Amino acid sequence: MALLQVEGLKKVYADGTVGLSGIDFEVKAGEFIAVIGPSGAGKSTLLRCLNQMVEPTGGSIVFQGAQTIGSGRRKLRNIRREMSMIFQGFNLFERVSVLTNVLHGRLGYMSSWRGALGLFLKDDVAEARRLLERVGLREQMHKRADELSGGQQQRVGIARALAQKPKLILADEPIASLDPAASETVMSSLHRFCSEDGIACLCNLHQVDMAKKYASRIIGIHKGQKVFDGTPDELTDEMIRLIYNQKPAEAQELAETDMARKETA
Amino acid sequence: MSAEQLERMKRTKRDQLILVLVLIVGLSVWSAFGTSFSLPALWGGFGDGARFLFVDLMPPDISGLPDLIGPALDTIYMSFVAMFIGSIIAGALSIFAAATTSPHPVLQVALRAFSAMFRNIPVIIWTILLVASFGLGNLVGTLSLLIVSIGMLVRCFAESLEEIDMGQVEALRAAGASYWQVIGQAVLPQFLPSFIGWSLYNLEINVRASTIVGMVGGGGLGFAIQSGIKLFQYKDVSMAVILVLVIVLATEMLTNRIRRRII
Repeated sequence: MALLQVEGLKKVYADGTVGLSGIDFEVKAGEFIAVIGPSGAGKSTLLRCLNQMVEPTGGSIVFQGAQTIGSGRRKLRNIRREMSMIFQGFNLFERVSVLTNVLHGRLGYMSSWRGALGLFLKDDVAEARRLLERVGLREQMHKRADELSGGQQQRVGIARALAQKPKLILADEPIASLDPAASETVMSSLHRFCSEDGIACLCNLHQVDMAKKYASRIIGIHKGQKVFDGTPDELTDEMIRLIYNQKPAEAQELAETDMARKETA
Repeated sequence: MSAEQLERMKRTKRDQLILVLVLIVGLSVWSAFGTSFSLPALWGGFGDGARFLFVDLMPPDISGLPDLIGPALDTIYMSFVAMFIGSIIAGALSIFAAATTSPHPVLQVALRAFSAMFRNIPVIIWTILLVASFGLGNLVGTLSLLIVSIGMLVRCFAESLEEIDMGQVEALRAAGASYWQVIGQAVLPQFLPSFIGWSLYNLEINVRASTIVGMVGGGGLGFAIQSGIKLFQYKDVSMAVILVLVIVLATEMLTNRIRRRII
């Protein structure tokens, strides 16, 4: 059975902008899937619909055998904690220690009041230390997050995602704000940890070369529709041109990305 | 064609400007007549005013100082208690009044309207209303300061809450954090500096307002000033006014120093 089954997933924003117009795909446990497509094609919207940071307007999402759309608050928390998210802008707590940032990944497993007061369990703290060692940031553990470089900050983001003990990681353009060297480090560590722990990953990417290098499968999205789904070998140059060069109506599509970001806020 | 249109637009703009200027001058003249304001009258009152200031009020009666210490302390207590309780209540309410953290938009609008009523009715009116039900004294002064403090702080706090970094909120929600976990871990730490900043500013406002509140029966130095004026004890009044100045300036200096430490 697939880890995640998406059928006819739709998102139309309040102002009528179409984010997704019916997308179907499956994710098997442990798969590393790159999602590519031009800016505003709906990649961000797709990931945020999966964990319902953006409310889908139609379709079905079955995660680990259970329908997730229409879940109550408590159930939604349980779904989200097994579906970590990694962000383009890292979304770290800049004035707080790196260790605490990783511990935030445990909030979904804690009682509401304990989490609100930040009373993290000893076991969780030990686990967070181990994770930071694993991503190579043991020495930075007690620094404030904003003292780290961009690449290091995204590795904190990965450690936070791993702290959730997820089945699936949703990475929304994790390397879009990094330089080439840091991008390489971040992608290779994300890929390594996912395969070591058997975590499936859906990773939005701008860089086709990165997608081809790391992904076991690639999904191409254009104007809210899936236009490609196959192995990196099947992604021909002609296919890439099809995904990217279909004269995007740029203004509208930029608006769509903005909407996705705004709605999650 | 287009040159003609441009010319017409220019003329309309000029006509609008003239109309606005005529309106402003007209309104000023009208209100001057309405209030029978005239420069000679101002000049005539100047002498009386100067005599009152420099002869009746001067020199301040320092021997009256010991009697004024009690009211001065009352003024400080009232301002501080109103700020302290006010900022706690407003802090709790503002979480529900800010667009970013409110659980429901109806709650948000209701709280905003409520706090607008609190702060837009002047503090002196609140005191007069409350004196009617509780009688004269410090309690009434504190209560009216508290009401206006809550009104002001809910708005300032809510606006600060709407400016926090939503990336952190997004990260926690995506990790499965509950509403109160997001508030406790992502919202409050970011909110704390502006919470303290606005509360200190509120203390300054309260110290100033407490004088007015006192004059209509709310206790403290304002009450002493009002009684002094009624009894023609002008030298005592000027001593009290100096004390008000000292307290206001001291509060400002103190809050500035704390603010600099925090931010």
